[in-house]
Amino acid sequence: MLSLRREALSRWLYVVPTVILIVIVFILPIAYNVWLSFHEKVIGGEPVWAGLKNYERLINSPMFYKTVLNTAVYTFASVFSKALIGLGAALLLNREFWGRGFLRGFSILPWAFPSFVCAVLFWFNYDYRGTFNQLLMLLGLRPIHWMNYDNAMFSVILLNVWHGWPFYFMGYLAGLQAIPTELYEAAEIDGASPLQKFRHVTIPMLKPVILTVILLSTMWTMGEFTQIYMTTGGGPVDATLTIPIATYRIAFQTEINMPLAAAYTILVLPIYLTLIYFTLKMMGE
Amino acid sequence: MLIAVGSALLLLWIIIPSFWAFKTSISPHEDAWKPLPSRITLDHYLSLFNPSLEAILRGMGLRAALPDPMIVYIRNSLVVSTTASVIGVILGSLAGYNLARFNYRGKRVVIWLVLFAYVFPVFILMVPILIIMRNLGLYNTLLGVALAHLAYTLPYSTLMMRSYFMGIPPSLEEAALVDGCTRLQALWRVTIPVAVPGFVTAFIFSFTLSWNDLLFALILLSSTRNYTLPIAATFFLWGGEIVDPGGLAATAIFAGVLPAALYMVVQRYVVVGLVRGAVKA
Repeated sequence: MLSLRREALSRWLYVVPTVILIVIVFILPIAYNVWLSFHEKVIGGEPVWAGLKNYERLINSPMFYKTVLNTAVYTFASVFSKALIGLGAALLLNREFWGRGFLRGFSILPWAFPSFVCAVLFWFNYDYRGTFNQLLMLLGLRPIHWMNYDNAMFSVILLNVWHGWPFYFMGYLAGLQAIPTELYEAAEIDGASPLQKFRHVTIPMLKPVILTVILLSTMWTMGEFTQIYMTTGGGPVDATLTIPIATYRIAFQTEINMPLAAAYTILVLPIYLTLIYFTLKMMGE
Repeated sequence: MLIAVGSALLLLWIIIPSFWAFKTSISPHEDAWKPLPSRITLDHYLSLFNPSLEAILRGMGLRAALPDPMIVYIRNSLVVSTTASVIGVILGSLAGYNLARFNYRGKRVVIWLVLFAYVFPVFILMVPILIIMRNLGLYNTLLGVALAHLAYTLPYSTLMMRSYFMGIPPSLEEAALVDGCTRLQALWRVTIPVAVPGFVTAFIFSFTLSWNDLLFALILLSSTRNYTLPIAATFFLWGGEIVDPGGLAATAIFAGVLPAALYMVVQRYVVVGLVRGAVKA
């Protein structure tokens, strides 16, 4: 009996450090954010109870709604484009042809580059003398300012799409390779056209992969900090101010008000928790 | 025909946005904004590792925005990423082994906790982590940043190693136990040698995750000598102008090729591991 209990205890020992660290790094900070959000504090001073003051301030500021809207636009446009490009590339590279192996490896390159490296690559593209304007002039068009108020959102989305689509490609390709060929053969015997095979075999079989990949990527895109910080920094003014950048701005740049930043993260937390719930359910645990 | 057009579009889509930085990294300074360089030079790369070469550039006013030699930032990034991934892989392997092998009450809760940590957006933690690190006396230290990076490396390694250990048949260990080994000996002599590829994969991915991070480095470091590569890259942009295009391009390519090369070695494990449940269903 005693040895059984000792055995059970020693099993726990393996996992305890990880559980403790996850609680320290994730759970405690979330709880601390909740606590801090009901306080206010001058720099160097102790936090004082402030009730709902921070929340009232955020609810009444147009900045809050603007950042949520920006994040929605940024995430939706990015995820949609990445899902389409990824699907196109996966369908293409699932066929057999000369050079497929090389293309498969090469396609992963944008994803293998760190976010901050991709951001730097795009500094050279978005510069007034850079790649994209040279291409526009080659086509006889006028160069444009990629980072002005009207174009900045498009520019940060394009950067995110370029960096992120190979993740979809890899997921879809793994899913496509897992579809048994008998299914296609059976559909062929039934006289299905290529389009019908795609609609009634490929898409239904790929659906769980598509959902998992899209949910994971939506979480990451909604939390993207590096790319936007390094290209527009949330600007000009508030054109690309998404939730992560706004949190950083409130806490360290403009207001330097940590309790307000904490309240802001708590206010947006339900959006992320809902998505996390669906993601975890989809990941099948 | 369709395949040829598709492949060409795919190649252009990948090459065009990365071309200018590659080209600039091997062009002389005066050709930075020309589509093709007049001659090829490796000076920009050499100057990343050679402070005396860099001092000449500094004298030309090119790298004036950078407070320290690049090699300092490269070293800091290497130190942080290695520390974060070694700790993450060791603890993650223990937890992953536990989650793969044993059944006990509360195991589901642990798995959910790890998955939750894996997908949770870290920016929500920026204020509390800063305050925790200040209280631990680890503010403005590389160790503090490395520990904060456990937020990336630990959940990832745990999940990765769990699925790796699940692929190693338990009968291997049981045979060793029958032969009179203790559980620890069985683990040390039988399971760990078999799991080496898993450790390598988990280490490489953890390394790239930590290498990519800008957020924690930005909030936890205050003196320039401790900055990491992503922060150093932001110094090249001064009032919306790229000060030293060649140096910046070389920095980016170096900082990208290192993790990309590592990544290519093990890429097939990643996504397959992530979408494993979905692929099986």
